[in-house]
Amino acid sequence: MKRIARSLTATALVTLMGISALWWGTDGLQAFTAETARRTALLGSPRALPAVSLEDQDGRGFSLQDYRGRLLAVEFIYTRCPTLCRSLGMAFRQIRDHVPAAALGKDFALLSISFDTLRDDAASLRDYGRTYGADGKHWRIARVRSEAELKQLLKSFGVVVIDDGLGGFEHNAAIHLLDRDGRLVLISDIDEPLKFAESVAAWL
Amino acid sequence: MAMNRETHRVARIGLGALYLVMLTPAARTWLEATMTGHMLLQIPLLAAIGFAASRLLPERWQHGLLTTVGGAVPCVAMAIFASSYWMLPRALDAALASPLAEAGKFLSIPLFIGMPLALAWRRLSILGRGFVWSNFYSMLAVLGWLYIAAPVRVCNSYLVNEQVHAGWLMVKLALFLFTWWLASFFIGRQPAPREDESARTSGNASQTHLA
Amino acid sequence: MASHTYTPMPDQGAKASVLAYLVTVAVVLLLMMVFGLLMRMEQARVITMGASWFYELMTLHGAGMVGIAGLAGAAIMWHFLRQYVALSQGIFWANLFLFLIGVVMILAGVLLGHFHGAWTFLYPLPGKSMGMWSQGAAALFMGGLLVIGVGFVLLHLDIARALIVRYGSFARSLGWPQLFGHDDGNAPPPTVVASTMVTIVNIAGLVAGASILIMMLVNLYVPSFNIDPLLAKGMIYFFGHVFINATIYMAVIAVYEILPRYTQRPWKSNKVFLASWTASTLMVLFIFPHHLLMDFAFPEWFLIMGHVIGYMNAFPILVVTGYGALMIVYRSGIRWDMASMLLFLSLLGWAAGVMPAFIDGTIAVNYVMHNTLWVPGHFHTYLLLGTVGMLFGFMYYLGKPDEHTQDALLDRLAFWLFMVASLGFTLTFLFSGKESVPRRYAEHLPEWVPYDRIGALFALLVIAAVLVFIIRFLTRLGRAGRDYPRAPLAYAGTA
Repeated sequence: MKRIARSLTATALVTLMGISALWWGTDGLQAFTAETARRTALLGSPRALPAVSLEDQDGRGFSLQDYRGRLLAVEFIYTRCPTLCRSLGMAFRQIRDHVPAAALGKDFALLSISFDTLRDDAASLRDYGRTYGADGKHWRIARVRSEAELKQLLKSFGVVVIDDGLGGFEHNAAIHLLDRDGRLVLISDIDEPLKFAESVAAWL
Repeated sequence: MAMNRETHRVARIGLGALYLVMLTPAARTWLEATMTGHMLLQIPLLAAIGFAASRLLPERWQHGLLTTVGGAVPCVAMAIFASSYWMLPRALDAALASPLAEAGKFLSIPLFIGMPLALAWRRLSILGRGFVWSNFYSMLAVLGWLYIAAPVRVCNSYLVNEQVHAGWLMVKLALFLFTWWLASFFIGRQPAPREDESARTSGNASQTHLA
Repeated sequence: MASHTYTPMPDQGAKASVLAYLVTVAVVLLLMMVFGLLMRMEQARVITMGASWFYELMTLHGAGMVGIAGLAGAAIMWHFLRQYVALSQGIFWANLFLFLIGVVMILAGVLLGHFHGAWTFLYPLPGKSMGMWSQGAAALFMGGLLVIGVGFVLLHLDIARALIVRYGSFARSLGWPQLFGHDDGNAPPPTVVASTMVTIVNIAGLVAGASILIMMLVNLYVPSFNIDPLLAKGMIYFFGHVFINATIYMAVIAVYEILPRYTQRPWKSNKVFLASWTASTLMVLFIFPHHLLMDFAFPEWFLIMGHVIGYMNAFPILVVTGYGALMIVYRSGIRWDMASMLLFLSLLGWAAGVMPAFIDGTIAVNYVMHNTLWVPGHFHTYLLLGTVGMLFGFMYYLGKPDEHTQDALLDRLAFWLFMVASLGFTLTFLFSGKESVPRRYAEHLPEWVPYDRIGALFALLVIAAVLVFIIRFLTRLGRAGRDYPRAPLAYAGTA
């Protein structure tokens, strides 16, 4: 009898701990993948980002912190990308066309950052910008100057870039929004640019 | 007895060495380079190390441990929960991204999956073992399907075709294990002679002799 | 050469658990028969309940009948197998308990949630109801099936355990040493062989069924996890066909166990018997593609396999059992009472029910016949006259007051009514099928209505007969649990 009671208590305890562990490990059964986890983690707790030196398609140096006081949409790309980055480019274009025109440049800007620091030079960044109609002012295409800073930046955004074995990369593509204090506040799917534009309008 | 102690010593050293080798950055990078290697090689190997290591503990300790934790049922429950956790794509990503999670993996899989199963296994009836097995391969098959059918890349650290590949491997493995398990019922063992007799006295429709 | 002589076996009363199974079966069976009658009356335009109700009743009728066929088979198998191996009483109760939970979930899903995607829950119908039922209703229905399946898996695992403890392996409990080697006459009794076969195929079928149910439940809530519809259909029919097939292989144990007691002749596990059960163990697993013959998207070899194995599997056990029964009965001086008559009738019903399936299993015929009432004609013949006949035979055997009691006139009338009405009922289906009346239609063309009316009338008569069987069984419930001789000795045999 005592043995059964002990077994029952232990099972109940293990079950309780097991369920709590799974609950904790999935943010309350919400996030089963690292990608959803990175998105839900932001809700209610914006994330500060490191100061890294960037360089735009015209070779001008700047940093994310220069955008303080404005909302900033950020995407990560590499210019030779044949798949996801194309959707990203189109999505960015749709967002730019759908936020209130008056806000563009003043209250809201867009920034595409390449993570292929080695191969994406100013010329390829310009090409990419031209393809999707980026004006180079309100929507800039940039690269990170140093490889170490790029790693730091990707880690802070939670973006993972891996070699696809075909000379390109696979990466978790999404659209990121930085608030007026330069903190990461929202990550959204690339196939819902209009919804993203609406949330930008709401933040304005 | 001495022979036994000697084999035990060799086995202990072998297991320890295997564990240490798996801990080296080279082995980790190699196994974790693909989802298949990570999920279907490294994790099962760690569980197997935990299982085998528990078997090497003195018989008395194994017994005492099992009694302390409350028998076979909580052990099986623990293994189920721990293995469910390590089936989360998120857990795989975390193990790659953070050394702390990686350390947690190397400790928790042998301790919370391999060991409880080893302790519980001898105590389980055929019915209990059947429950664990059928749970295991059906979970494996469903997880495999989830990986194949997932509309998104579930692990940021792995390529999307890698995930489909791992999914198919899981499905095939589950089918193989199921067939093997069913087949094991056909090989079986010697029938129990005592029950043989008691069943016979309770009646047998066609009793037969050689004419 | 091994010769078999009969050693008398005591007639055991049923455990309370077996009786609980049988009472559940009787209640659900009657209710489902009434649902069936209502469906026929709707098609016959005698009543008007509307298409939605028709399909809800059809879904319940299908799920309920498959469920109780399984339950009835399990009760018969468990009752007799207990004589040879040590089975767990707790697991047997647990299966009934899970079954009842599943039934409640299914009833709630259908009656409250209005799920009516048929018991075969073909993907993607449950998830794409066009607003006819909610996600929750579909989840309740499929969840209920899953719970029932888990119960049966537990039961079969326990049976597997018991068989292995007693015989060492499935190979031995299927009698392979005697089949492939020298027949020393020590092959396991037919009950053990049949139980082994059913355990093997049902574990495989139920695992496939549980997997597809879980996949569809995931898909229900996260639709982006798509399932290959052909894979889904294959898995569903693998599970469904194996499970419903297994019910008659369980129920036939009543024939193997009871007829020999009536004639004092042994049912032999000889080489032919063993070979046919072993062959069917394999073939039942590969026969389901005959449900998919119309799906031209399946690979051709797959359909041809279904076609060929469907032909081959139709016969071994049936022939062996039918021939065996004739050998046992022939000039044995058997005393015909309700139990022995129903069991004998059930073999005829099984044989008759296989024929339409055999015809439908031909690909060219299948194209035009499979979606007509021909197929319900087939499975109603073999389930109603076969499985249900075995069930009532078993019930009459358990409830028989003593060896010498003569059956009342009412019972004997009910037997003949059951036989005639069941034949009439199933022949109406078959004839409608021949006339190309589609199956699963709530509303019928005026030309078909006369057949529907005849069918409804026969259905009503079947229910009347069954009512007599069930009431008789319920009044004898107290006796059914006691151990005493039931089977009457045969008249002096002339063989």
